[in-house]
Amino acid sequence: MVVGHGLGLGHVLEGNVSMPPRKISKVLIANRGEIAVRIIRTCREMGIATVAVYSDADRGSFHVRNADQAVHVGPAPSRLSYLDVGRILDAARATGADAIHPGYGFLSEKAEFARAVEDAGLVFIGPRPESMEAMGVKTTARKNMAAAGVPTVPGAPAPIAVLEEARALADRIGYPVMIKAAAGGGGKGMKRCDRAADFAAMWESAQREAASAFGDDRLYLEKFLDQPRHVEIQVFADGHGNTIWLGERECSVQRRQQKVIEESPSCIVDARMREAMGEVAVRAARAVGYRGAGTVEFLVDAGRSFYFLEMNTRLQVEHPVTEMVTGLDLVRMQLEVAQGERVPAQEQLVRRGHAIEARVYAEDPARGFLPCPGKITYLRVPAGPGVRDDSGVYSGWVVPQYYDPMLSKLVAWAPTRDQAIARLLRALDEYTVHGITTNLPYLAAVLRHPAFRSGEYDTTFCARHAAELVRAPDPALEDVGLIAAAISAHRRDAEQAEAFAARAGAAGAGASRWLRQGRARVLRGGPR
Amino acid sequence: MSRPSSYVALLDGGSRERKVEVRPLAPGIYEVRLGDRVHRVDAWRHDHGTLSLLVDGVSWSATLDERDPAVHVRVKDSVFPIEILDERRLRLRRAAGAFTLEGKQTVFAPMPGKVVKILAPLGAEVAEGQPLLVIEAMKMENELRSPRAGKLVELLVKEGQTVEANARLCAVE
Repeated sequence: MVVGHGLGLGHVLEGNVSMPPRKISKVLIANRGEIAVRIIRTCREMGIATVAVYSDADRGSFHVRNADQAVHVGPAPSRLSYLDVGRILDAARATGADAIHPGYGFLSEKAEFARAVEDAGLVFIGPRPESMEAMGVKTTARKNMAAAGVPTVPGAPAPIAVLEEARALADRIGYPVMIKAAAGGGGKGMKRCDRAADFAAMWESAQREAASAFGDDRLYLEKFLDQPRHVEIQVFADGHGNTIWLGERECSVQRRQQKVIEESPSCIVDARMREAMGEVAVRAARAVGYRGAGTVEFLVDAGRSFYFLEMNTRLQVEHPVTEMVTGLDLVRMQLEVAQGERVPAQEQLVRRGHAIEARVYAEDPARGFLPCPGKITYLRVPAGPGVRDDSGVYSGWVVPQYYDPMLSKLVAWAPTRDQAIARLLRALDEYTVHGITTNLPYLAAVLRHPAFRSGEYDTTFCARHAAELVRAPDPALEDVGLIAAAISAHRRDAEQAEAFAARAGAAGAGASRWLRQGRARVLRGGPR
Repeated sequence: MSRPSSYVALLDGGSRERKVEVRPLAPGIYEVRLGDRVHRVDAWRHDHGTLSLLVDGVSWSATLDERDPAVHVRVKDSVFPIEILDERRLRLRRAAGAFTLEGKQTVFAPMPGKVVKILAPLGAEVAEGQPLLVIEAMKMENELRSPRAGKLVELLVKEGQTVEANARLCAVE
């Protein structure tokens, strides 16, 4: 592969932290479910052996059967199994794995885990622990980004003690502003202020609220972004100082900060903006000496200005969207980078068509998205052109209560956005899960919604259209539903009646022939 | 040929009833009467509760997910939970009196999980829809609400306790 960037910070890093090239022959996957299966698939293709880990609840899990080896690492609660660094490392040592892939969630963004893996002489498939630390805490990350010239939401990351000082800053960044408690969370001590005249009163009220809620009345200030969109850039860096961006993913369809639908490209990003965001994302990654797959998340306001939100120092759930438009295998690239290989040059990358991902969850939208663990009595997944189902379940599997209720990620690719939406809807229609309730109808309702179709949607989409997205079944289809239920019941009843008659007949046949003969004669009124 | 069947279908959680009659005409061919409409239906059974229906010549795919007590019938994006009852089952169902929210109402665990918080003490007066306790399952907290206004007369679980699906949690009267 061609080396993309030979100058600047990349050059410095190359001198600093070159990694000894090292062929990986066996990978332990410190994860479960869908992502463990996803990683195993690529390892298979590369001829790399795999080790699964599993808790008490996951002996029957799909990833255990798919791996070459599997090690039990503890009881069902993840803190005692999938989050237990000691047990994961023991499993790696016991099986002779030479690398650990953390997937997403669990230990994937814990710098101390990455460090422990490296201290054990194993390859951590992910960034350096220092990079994770530099991006781990929001205020630190923000400071690092500001220093690297990456735009952040205007405001003060550090607490402001004096009211006058705060008001002066608010006047400078422009209203509306958000007043936030430094120790805050859950909306307490958080106020939106629309004009200078209200500022003093709101500041003081927020101070009182913060003091009573957290015992800490320190406040800070940020510009309020009205109906922002969530757009993120996939970046990739190797150990030779090359950092590239692979394009954006639009993730504004979120429910309570949880992504529901992701697509690429974004409807609001044109070539120039994409280039600008890509360059900023690369700058952010370089600033922390990044290596491997990472995602730089941005908030985009109505004027299409973008601000750094955070960096996810791991493979994302929604990475298949980028794989579909770039044709790359990001897990393969992770493994290659970990082996000391190079990423492709920026100008080699080609993006084509449109990809959309829908997250299939075991949850009931009609009951406040209540999780629905339980047995999958039947599963039939979609197929056909441009459809990809990254699943971690099978027919007969009991979805455990202990972990995230995501069953699968359904992705559709097509040349245009309209065709990709139509294709994903078609695939959702083919998706059949029996035994537990899923969000499949909710996902279809999102894709059919005019605001989504127009591309004019932002992070408030799910909350704003909540009532339209959780719809009652279509009354026009009720008759077909009733016909199906009634014919099915009729067949069951007829089969039961037949079985009953057959049993009765068999019982009759078992009785004495003489007796039957006798009865028949009586009935005929014949001689005895 | 089997005999005709006559059913009452309960819809919308039992709050609506519709009559359905199924008359077999030939193997796999039925005449289905829904109110005053009569359809000729050709039904072919695929695997696992999937039915291919030709209703007056139009092709439909319906999947039937047998839950207790309702069967969840999916047609396109729509899922209809339907309880399908013959005469005998309808009488039993009515005798069970499960249609009303009068009297003592027991709150059951909708899924296996852990009781993380009890929000109303035993003996408390509660309003309909008031959260009674919080169950954590799959990393998410779920509030369970009172089915009716009244007094919390039974509290059968403690904070920190693990419960199975359908476990009795508390009762309001």
